[in-house]
Amino acid sequence: MASIIAVKKLDKHFKVRKFHRGRFSGFQNFFTREHHLVRAVDGVNFEIQSGELIGYLGPNGAGKSTTLKMLTGLLVPTGGEINVDGFVPSKQRKEYVSRIGAVFGQRSTLWWDLPVFESFELLRHIYKIPEKLFKKNLDEFRELLELDTFINTPVRSLSLGQRMRADICAALLHDPKILFLDEPTIGLDVVAKERIRQFIQHINQDRGTTVILTTHDLSDVEKLCNRILIIDEGKLLYDGQLEQLRQKFGGKRQLVVDFFENYPEATIEGAEIVEINGARITFEFERDSIAASDLIGRLSSKYRIRDLEVKEPEIEETIRRIYEQQLLK
Amino acid sequence: MQNSIKLLNKYISVNLRSQLQYRLTFVFEVFGTILLTLTEFAALALVLLKFENIGGWTVGEVAFLYGTINASFGIMDMFFSGFDPRNFGRHVRMGTFDQLLLRPINITLQVLGLEFQFRRIGRIMIGVGILIYSVQTTSILWTGEKAIVLFFAIIGQIAYFGGLFIFGATITFWTIESIEVVNILTYGGSDLIAYPMNIYPELLRKFFTFILPAIFLNYYPALFILGRPDPFNFPPYAHWLSPFAGMLILFFSLRFWRFGITKYQSTGT
Ligand SMILES: Nc1ncnc2c1ncn2[C@@H]1O[C@H](COP(=O)(O)OP(=O)(O)OP(=O)(O)O)[C@@H](O)[C@H]1O
Ligand SMILES: [Mg+2]
Repeated sequence: MASIIAVKKLDKHFKVRKFHRGRFSGFQNFFTREHHLVRAVDGVNFEIQSGELIGYLGPNGAGKSTTLKMLTGLLVPTGGEINVDGFVPSKQRKEYVSRIGAVFGQRSTLWWDLPVFESFELLRHIYKIPEKLFKKNLDEFRELLELDTFINTPVRSLSLGQRMRADICAALLHDPKILFLDEPTIGLDVVAKERIRQFIQHINQDRGTTVILTTHDLSDVEKLCNRILIIDEGKLLYDGQLEQLRQKFGGKRQLVVDFFENYPEATIEGAEIVEINGARITFEFERDSIAASDLIGRLSSKYRIRDLEVKEPEIEETIRRIYEQQLLK
Repeated sequence: MQNSIKLLNKYISVNLRSQLQYRLTFVFEVFGTILLTLTEFAALALVLLKFENIGGWTVGEVAFLYGTINASFGIMDMFFSGFDPRNFGRHVRMGTFDQLLLRPINITLQVLGLEFQFRRIGRIMIGVGILIYSVQTTSILWTGEKAIVLFFAIIGQIAYFGGLFIFGATITFWTIESIEVVNILTYGGSDLIAYPMNIYPELLRKFFTFILPAIFLNYYPALFILGRPDPFNFPPYAHWLSPFAGMLILFFSLRFWRFGITKYQSTGT
């Protein structure tokens, strides 16, 4: 199957002006124009198939938003190629943007002083959405996103969570094939995040909309995406499944055992004790060196076990280690 | 195109409604501009009455220049506010411009619809008022031709200053510091042509003739309509040139604007 998004050797370099500091700095800044180059996106390649739901991850300043801005046609790449559904996003802008939806989490696309519903009405004209389709979509989204309580409220008076839901709805009214979301859950509480996640999943599964989302919240990715891309300092570091990343870089697994009695010296080959809490002992072991079942076998032959649990390392922890120790480089 | 006009209409009505939501602010601003323009003109008139004329022009004749440019600058400012470099620079920094680029409509039209300023109605009214005062005191002999020249003069002025707004807005893609230079051309230029061009030093006048042809916007149409002789011996059709001067500036500004969009860098986050 041909891919719906193809990105080849994509670069975006920003010239950023250097400002002097200290004495006479105002003077110096006025008379000199020194620049340095920020390689916000640097030689990135990937392909995405129609219907995928992709998580785009990376630490602050990694180049995620810049990539999304190029994919949506807001920025013209410094180098490389982008092809989305047969379009070069920065060319043929009008035709292209009517086929995609985009939400940049920090900003609203809606009219500040207009009630939500009237913003939607305006979008209906802008995208020339047929009346029937508009009604069908709006009815569906109203229910799923629970927009009814604030659909007649001006956008400026909405809470962050409400505004985000209204914005996501607005981005989908014209049935886009591809949806770009830059930090759609930023600043939201757990319930609001969950509602938005479920909605994204629904859109992806039910309508087959291709979704790319960036986030700093790994539970978004864990729940939604089977494929992730990791970018840092403009370079793509990883492209694959979350599970594989976990297996490769996940570090140690933990075995938490509740014994019937206190065994302060319950040592076992292949695992280390990291915590003793009464009759509960936590062991750590390497994924590659021993299987959990072997470990449990060895333990139960020596001690009486009441209950046990194998814990995978937290994905947050894994990703943090990857960023910090630069494991992917 | 028809759809675009319909949309522009919608944008404008949205703007009107938002502006009317802050009704008191709206009223204050309209009266504010009326008061400001009136005071400015009153100060000028007082000086003029003392000297009786300026560059050989009577108060009533200068009022013709003054009224025309104020009315057309007001109209321009109402339609082109979105491109006013001060507004536009803010939209670029706040990322509003990104949002416009995401919509499938002509980008120039959207910027026009961004900030339609009804409150400029105050300046337009005063401009027209001063123009009427001038027409009454100078007892111009109106002909159809003169009316058309005035109409074209106004069209040219709107296009010219709208073009300068677009030029200034485009510059904000690169820098907001150099904006003041463009503002001097826009606001300084509109102030300049509110007076007879023969009062200025030659260098300044030549600049506004051959580099930025503002002399044709207001001065030549006024010479013709008021029936005054041309001190600079331009060809006899010079009073028709206002729309051409305006379109020239607008045309190059739009080209520059198109180019600027391809260089647009968005903002970090
Ligand atoms: N318009 C711009 N002009 C100059 N530099 C920019 C611009 N936009 C982004 N950058 C720089 O490019 C780099 C990548 O920024 P980007 O916004 O893409 O990061 P990000 O991955 O989205 O980060 P975050 O998680 O903080 O949102 C940063 O160093 C940033 O300072
Ligand atoms: Mg970002």
